[in-house]
Parts: sequence; C-alpha cells; structure tokens
Amino acid sequence: MAETKGSGLDKNNKYDRQLRLWGDHGQSALEAARVCLINATATGTEILKNVILPGIGSFTIVDGHKVRGEDVGNNFFLLADSIGKSRAQVATELLGELNDDVTGNFVEESVETLLESNPDYFSTFSVVVAINLHEKALLQLGGVLWEKNIPLLVCRCYGFIGYLRLAVREHTIVESHPDSALEDLRLDRPFPGLQTFCDSLNMETMTKKEHGHTPWLVLLYKYVQEWKKTHDGQIPKNYKEKNMLKEMIRKGIRQNEEGVPELEENFDEAVTHVNSALVTTRIPSEVQALFDDPCCTNINSESKTFWILCRALHDFVHNEGNGDLPLRGTIPDMTSDSERYIQLQNVYREQAATDMTAIRNRVHALLQSLGRDEPVFVDPKPCGAVSDNEIKTFCRNAAFLRLVRCRSLAEEYGTNTVNKDELNMHLESEEGDDLLFYILLRGVDRFYDEYNRYPGRDNSDVEPDIPKLKTCLTKLLHDWGLSGTVKEDYIHEMCRYGASEVHSIASYMGGVVAQEVIKILTTQFVPINNTYVYNGFLQTSTTVQL
Amino acid sequence: MAATLKGVLQGSLADNVKNSKILVVGAGGIGCEVLKDLVLTGFKTIEVIDLDTIDVSNLNRQFLFRKEHVKKSKSQVARESVLKFNPDVDIKAYHDSVMSPDYDVNFFKQFTLVLNALDNRAARNHVNRMCLAADIPLVESGTAGYLGQVTVIKKGLTECYECQPKPPQKTFPGCTIRNTPSEPIHCVVWAKHLFNQLFGEDDPDQDVSPDTEDPELTAEAGQSALQSEAKTDEIGGIERKSTRVWAMNTGYDPEKLFNKLFRDDIKYLLSMETLWKKRRPPQPLNMTQLPSDTDGNSSAIRDQRQWSVKECANVFSDCLGQLKKELATQGDGGMLVWDKDDETALDFVASVANIRAHIFGIAMKTRFDIKSMAGNIIPAIATTNAIIAGLIIMEAIKILSGKIKSCKTVYLNRVPNDRNRLLVPCTLDPPNPKCYVCAPKPEVTVVVNCTRFKVGALQDKVLKSYLGMVAPDVEIDDGKGTIIISSEEGETEENNDKFLSDFGIRNGTRLKCDDFLQVYSLVVTIAHVEKLEEEKEFEVVGDLSELQPQEEQQQAANGSKPHNGGDKADEKEEEDDLMLIEEEEFEEEQQRMEEETRTTRKRKASSETEPTTKRSKTAEAQAAAGDNDVIEIS
Repeated sequence: MAETKGSGLDKNNKYDRQLRLWGDHGQSALEAARVCLINATATGTEILKNVILPGIGSFTIVDGHKVRGEDVGNNFFLLADSIGKSRAQVATELLGELNDDVTGNFVEESVETLLESNPDYFSTFSVVVAINLHEKALLQLGGVLWEKNIPLLVCRCYGFIGYLRLAVREHTIVESHPDSALEDLRLDRPFPGLQTFCDSLNMETMTKKEHGHTPWLVLLYKYVQEWKKTHDGQIPKNYKEKNMLKEMIRKGIRQNEEGVPELEENFDEAVTHVNSALVTTRIPSEVQALFDDPCCTNINSESKTFWILCRALHDFVHNEGNGDLPLRGTIPDMTSDSERYIQLQNVYREQAATDMTAIRNRVHALLQSLGRDEPVFVDPKPCGAVSDNEIKTFCRNAAFLRLVRCRSLAEEYGTNTVNKDELNMHLESEEGDDLLFYILLRGVDRFYDEYNRYPGRDNSDVEPDIPKLKTCLTKLLHDWGLSGTVKEDYIHEMCRYGASEVHSIASYMGGVVAQEVIKILTTQFVPINNTYVYNGFLQTSTTVQL
Repeated sequence: MAATLKGVLQGSLADNVKNSKILVVGAGGIGCEVLKDLVLTGFKTIEVIDLDTIDVSNLNRQFLFRKEHVKKSKSQVARESVLKFNPDVDIKAYHDSVMSPDYDVNFFKQFTLVLNALDNRAARNHVNRMCLAADIPLVESGTAGYLGQVTVIKKGLTECYECQPKPPQKTFPGCTIRNTPSEPIHCVVWAKHLFNQLFGEDDPDQDVSPDTEDPELTAEAGQSALQSEAKTDEIGGIERKSTRVWAMNTGYDPEKLFNKLFRDDIKYLLSMETLWKKRRPPQPLNMTQLPSDTDGNSSAIRDQRQWSVKECANVFSDCLGQLKKELATQGDGGMLVWDKDDETALDFVASVANIRAHIFGIAMKTRFDIKSMAGNIIPAIATTNAIIAGLIIMEAIKILSGKIKSCKTVYLNRVPNDRNRLLVPCTLDPPNPKCYVCAPKPEVTVVVNCTRFKVGALQDKVLKSYLGMVAPDVEIDDGKGTIIISSEEGETEENNDKFLSDFGIRNGTRLKCDDFLQVYSLVVTIAHVEKLEEEKEFEVVGDLSELQPQEEQQQAANGSKPHNGGDKADEKEEEDDLMLIEEEEFEEEQQRMEEETRTTRKRKASSETEPTTKRSKTAEAQAAAGDNDVIEIS
C-alpha cells in the first residue's frame, strides 16, 4: 500500500465525492489494490487514469513497445518528445503525476516474453487489464490468471467500437447495492421483540397526541394481527385483501366530537405502506443458490471467507433463524414521537444484533472445526480471521449477496465450447446488433493471423481488404458451425477503421472498464458478466455471456 | 497528430473537425475530459470558460489539476495542462462567468459548436438561450454519481433545455424552518441561515427567529404571541431584527447565544400553543444543563460518528470563537461566506443543526451526512465523467458531419438494464411549441397577489431566479409603455419596494419582459389571487394549452392548483427528462439533489430506442456510502 503523504483529513477531502458512493471500506480496498495494465495505449492509459485518480494502491504497466508518432496523437499520457522511448516508462511517469498517493511501476517487456520467462509474474496483482492482445498471448495469460482466480479484463477500442470482456472464475459480492430493495420489517413473521413492543402499546387508552404519533409500523402490525384472527392466521395476500386491510386501518383514525376524522398522518402512512411493507419474508433465489453451491455445502480449510460466512448463514437459517435470514435491523423514517421511534428502532437493532451474534458464533465454530486460526474479532483483522465488522456487513447484506462466475476465455475460444447459440442469434438478428462487431473483431484477428497486419491499415488497403476480411469471417463462422454471414457494409466499415484507436471511444471505454475494475476491487456492485460491446456511432451497447 | 483517424473520420469530416471553433462551458469534471478528448480528436481551436477555482475535492476526478493548483483558476490551469501535452493547439481560457454581458450573442456566433460541461441550472438556462439566439448547436450534458446524460439542442430542430418544465427548485416554507422543523434538512437549512445571520451576508429571507406570522396561528394566537414578543424583547434585550448586532454586542458569547437560540427562542415558540396541538413540542435546552453523554461508538472516525448534544455544544462554542476571529480579520463591514469545504463553517452548521434537531425530536445526523445536505453534494467520480465526455465528442462529431438529425439523447445507467443495456439512446424530440423560451412568441402566466407582491420580487424571484433572465427590462403593456424595471443601473431601483398594484397591475395585466443579453422577449400575464397554497409568493403557469383560457384564469383566481409547481407529492410522480447536474453547489437546499437523482426519465418510443429505466431514490440511496442514509443524487 502506498504511503499516505497528505494528512488523513486531506485524503478525506480529496476523496469526499467518491466516499459517498463506496464508503471508507470500499476506499480502503481500493488503496490496497495492485493493478496491472498490459499495453499503455490510449485506452490503457485512460483506464489507469480513472483508477489512479480515485486512489488505488499501485499500478504496473507491462509494455514492450516504443512510443510511435501515432501513439502520441491519441494518447494524453505520452508526449511528442517521448517518441522512441519506452511506452511503459513514459506512461508510468506521466500517469504517476495524477495522484501522489499512488505508486507506479513499469516493465519494459512484452507480455509474451514475460509469460515465457516468469509466468508467475502476474500472480501478485489484484486485477489485470489487457489491451489489444493477440489471441495466443491472450489465451495463455487468461489460463495463468484463471488458475489463480485473478480477475482479467480484456479491452479493445477499434474504430468506433469498444469491447470489454471480464474473465474471472469466481467473484463474490457482499454489498451489491441493489437498485430497489424492500425494507426487512418481518410484519408477516414478527419476531418476539417486535411482538412484545407492539403488544405493550394500547391504542385505546392513548392520548390524542400519542395516538397520532404511533409509528405506522406498529399500526400495521396491530391491524395485521386483527386481520389474521379472521383469516386463518394468514396475512393479506392479494390486491383485494390489501385494500380491505387499508379500509380497516382508515377506520382506526380517531374522530373528533363531531364525528369528523382527525388528521392522523401516521395512519395515512400505514395505509401507504401496506403494499411495500406487507410482503412475505423469504430467502431470495440468488441466496438460495449460494446455499446450494458446493462451495457452501463442502467447506474446507481452504475455503474463502465468503463461503464460510455463507455456510454460517445457511446453518443459521436452518436453526436460530427459523427459516429466515438475519434481520437487517433498520427501519425507515416515519411520523412518530422520538421516544417510541427510538424504542422501535432498538427493537429491530437488538434482534439484528442477536442474529449477528448467532452467526458470529457459527463462523467461530466453523473456523475452529476447519483448524483455522482462532478468529480474532478486532479491526484490523489478522490474516485468516474474520472481523466483526465483516460479519456485520455480511449479515446486513444477507439478502443481497451475489456471485459472478464467468466462462473462461478458453471456453469462449474453444471450437467445441463456443457459445454458438448466442452468436447465431445475433448473426440472424436485424441490423444494428452490437454483437455483430464482436464477430467482426474476431474476424480481424483471423485476418491478422493470416496477413500479419490489420485490414485497411493504409487507406489504399480498404477496398482490396474487404473480400479478404470476408473470407476470414466465413472461415471463422464455419469453424463455429454457423452458416450465416455478416453484411458487406459492416465488413467495409471494419476495414475503414483500419485498427485505429479513436480517442473519444478510448475515453468512453476508459470510464467503463475502470468502473468495472473499481467494482471488482471494492467487491461492491455487480460487475458485467462477461462481454460488453459499445457502438460509438449509434451510441448503443450490449452485454452478453460468451 | 490525429493522422490515424483519417480513415475513421471520413472525407471532409476530418477537415471540419480541424477547422471548427469550439466553446467549452465549464472546466470541471466533464470539462477536463472534454478538453482532452477534443484535442486528441483533432480539434485545433478551443475556448473554455469557467468562473470557478480549484478545490481539493476536485482532484479525485479533474485530472488536469494537481494539489499545487488548488485555489487557482480552473479554466487557466486546464488550458496550461492541455497545452503542456499538446502544444500545437490554440486554446483560449476565460476565468469568468458565462452569464457576464461580455459574452453576448456575437461572442457565441463565432463558434461552430458549444459544449456545456456545467453544474447548475441557471448557467444551463442562460447558455441554452444564448445558443438559441446565436443559432449555434449545443451539446448539453450532466453526471451524478454513476448516472449521466448527453443531449443535443438546435434551434427549431430539437427541444431546447427549457422546453420541458423542470421540477421547481425545492425550498421550504419559512415557518417550517423557523417554527416547526420536522426533518433533519429543516435544521440544516436553519443552521446555514444562522451562519449567515451571525457572520455572513444579511438576508431578510433567512431570519432564524420565531415567525409570528405563521399562517397556522389563528388571529388570536398571533395576538398573544405578539404580546409576548414585546415582553421577551424587553427581558432579553433582544432586538429581533438584527441577530448580528446583538451577537456582536455580546462578543459572540457562546452561552448567551446558546441560551437565546436554544432556550429563550424555543420557549417563545412554545408560547405559540396552536403549533403544538398536534406536534411534539420542542424542548428548550440550557447550555449549563445538557443531557449527559451516552457514549456510543467512539471508535468511529469523527466525521461519521454521531455527536452527542454535549459535543455539539462544545463544537458550537469553539466554532463561534474561531469564526469571530475570522470575521474580525475581514475588518469593518466584512462578512464570511459559508463553504462546505471550510472545516469550521461546516462544524458550526453540523453542531447547530444537531442541537436544533435534538430540541425538536428529529433524528440527528453525522457531520459526513450534514456536509452532503448542507453542501448539496452530488457524488462525482472520474469514470462517469470520462464516459459522458466520450459520448459528448461522438455527438459533436455527428453534428460536424452534418448528421445532426441522427444525434441522440443518451442516458447512462448505473448497471445494464433489463435488456442488458448500459446506454439508452433516445431520438431527439422536436421543440415544444408552447415553450416559454424557444417558442416564436413566448408567453407565461404568473400568479401573485398584486397588492402584496413587490416589483423587486418580480425582478429577482420571478424573472431572474425562476425564469432565468440575467438583466430584465419590464414594460407594462398598457399603451403607455410604463417601464417598471430597467436593466440600466439606477433607473428603476426606487420601484423595487412598491407593490405591483401601485402601478395599476392587476388580474390580466400583460408585462413585456426583455433580456437584451439573451435576446429574449417574454410576455408575462399577471393573474391576481388573494392567497396561494403553501405560503407561496408566486406561481408560474407554463404551458397554457393544458388549461382552457377562461378556466385557467378562474382556477388561478381561486387559488387552485396550476400544473406547474403545484403539489409536491404529484411532482415526485411526475416523469420528466431534466438534465442531471454535474456536481456541487446548486440552490441552497439539498432536497433538490434528491429531486434530481430520482429523476425519472421520459419514455420515448421509437424503433431504435427503448424505454428508459426508472430511477428511484432508493437506487441512488443504495449507491451511497455503505448503508448510510445519505441521500444522493447523482
């Protein structure tokens, strides 16, 4: 990790606007990360720029190329007077200026040579980003990193097309930040603390002020109990029943002496929340899938912390949890006097803490049974142990746990394992399908293998290269066992691009790829699985699994 | 240098790029990226304007700036940094407001294209009008956290920035802030007002004392309150109208100030009993008898830990001392400007807001959260800006290749949507014929009480703030040509304190409003009402076609809800396509940014487009740091 030069406060200020997205722990994860970039092209340096600014720990550029004139024309981090110098070195120096807190290194070697001489070289990185690799080197690198479960992002900008592929064997996410999540209130299956608290409040004997300031959560609880009495202990399930419940609640509003209902905002809130708050508590399918995963059912001394936590969670659900995940422990804002709001908040917090303790004990026991080091519940945690904060975050996000397993590059490129159904679908779809450009990119690679240059590299090559590229594509599709063809306009377009790297596309992809790198490093948010294609001219993009 | 692009940018396009002259408005997060992208795409003549200086919190994304540049001009440093890498480009930098009269229509006319990289609506409105007047295509953009948006505006061809009504900037009724706060934000706003009352610019709209004109008070209650006001004034020796003078006379004595603000004023509020019939009454605090500390999680860092009331009181005392010193260094008549990145100023607001929240039984907030509310902070990261800048250049390239009709409004999602799309391109809509900016003869109706609304308010609140004019001239369309507001300094100032009715303005009066700089004329029809909902001073009714002309007058006269700027709950449901904001200071209230982030986007159907995803407030709240309930927008 790089030494912090500024004061802590300075860093808080510098990173203030992003801490609001991924929090301090996300920032710490970034600051501990080692990022490797292969090939400092315009796209490559743009990606690095966007992860250096938010403060990764260190970066290393692997690049055997010397700076050429055309590099300088589209790459902000190379200068005219750097022509002829090591591209890795120049880019490392200029990128290093972006952030004092980040350490930069470089290796002036091609990835091919490095894989040959020191295949273990890449195993120390948190993530590797590879730009413009040829198929052979790509598959070789992919194999090495797959073995070690190091995420690899493959990126390429070709004319107006941007391409990104994530290859990671297993990436687990605790904080997936779902777009919309319902509150975890358990009104359908109230826990004892909630029951006791709600039952202790008597609506009948309340003063007018108390009545109008009883949290809607309590009101809803009470009316649901009422409802259950006449409905076989079931909560309202459908639209009609929920409307009936709403009517019941409305009738509970106090009336003044003239029989006119008072303005009781808490009752209005209770009615509004019937639909969103009265849901069946269940284990989300993604989480159930984790429970059923062999990594969870067969944990061993080598298991990742995530899986040990998953197993503890699973065991909790089937024991203390009575079939439910640990309570999240938070409640939304609502009209209430602060005394009862705080009491209610504590009821939820206490249950969440109880659940968390049960899981913590299970984690502890599991680690012991696996012969792992005694867990030490402190931060920062010693190696191998699981900290309390980690368990807390895990419990709070129990419903949002996610797992990404990509297909390997070897599978994507293997003649027998290629996802030909998906490709065929895009081949046959109407015009404007972004994935056609994936096929074309594979086609130009085939072209490169045959002619040792990209099609249309010189303006005079464009026309003559069109039939050649067409032939390459036909062979490629034949290898995949597909009979379709790619329209001539597309082939022409591709030749016209002449493998040039347009800066605005590099800027765009630099943002997209860096964002995926940050997702992976912070283990927050769900990364793309596994291929992303951007068409700059139409401003469209698509994600597919290949 | 961009020789490699010859093939990609076909034929005359490469030359068009080279020979064009581009104006970039804003050198912040998007601006830095755009400048770099322009230069590396082969653009040779660029001008950039920004009135801002560099702040530490910019450095996580505005990559043309370094630590040593903090406090320097954004546009000038951006120019130097770009030139260092690409000396063969002609860049001119202006450290100035784009709204200054120096940048008139002729200034705008010299450009091929204008690219906006702005962070506030006022400047966006203005540049929109300038580009319409100069008939120059404008690429508009904005980012907020992971979200972003790019669109193209061309006179007569597309919607302009103001064609669709934006939700009004969120403000809170004065009596909510002064008498009956119910949410943390109310306390934060009050605390900022207090800062200005004590140390900053005096603004009568930011009074922090109890408001005896609260409409909730019946005539009777108001009476008794007034009586007791006289009494308090005597006892406390407090001159209500100038908190500043009183505070200075006490030497900013923490205990005296504390007890006035948090004990005496609260007791006074309690005397307005009507207010507390259905509310939890506030509980006055005495500085010497504060609730004892219940130490929570003191291990957490100061910024993200909840301070106790006692701690708040201590911070309050310390800040008063420091701010007093700072104020003194300014000399006579000096004042401080509240800045969210100023540690002491933020500490002051955080402590005051929390003490007030405690008094009113409102949830207290961490300093980190209060910073975001008080500073209206929109999270901002390098990646989103880079993506949006790339999209901006692609739209610019399309315009330069004569394909403006194939330009799109592009939305950037936080994650791929249900159809696996990260980007959602939508075809551009034609101009709204009823737009009060770009229609051939723009008209709008303003609903006010003519006998209580002053000419000064018409100028500042309606024409400038709401309708985005910079220097309006207003003439009554009565055949006599009475000029009530002139943009010439000193000509009509004496009118500012007069009521509209003093000039014979009444229901149905038409006012011809002109902004010479914006080359913009607007006819304002006045609709008189006795009283508006929710204490509003005025209401602007936009698209008149939705109401029958006669009915409209009547509805307005009855004070029923005009569609623009009406009921808050309705607005939240409303779908609109307003531009996201890049970052930072906007209007005072943070609720605004919530409004922005939760912006749901207009669905447009066409063969190559698809429905955009609705963005909920929860979405962005989730995106916020951990599970803090920071309300973000993007």
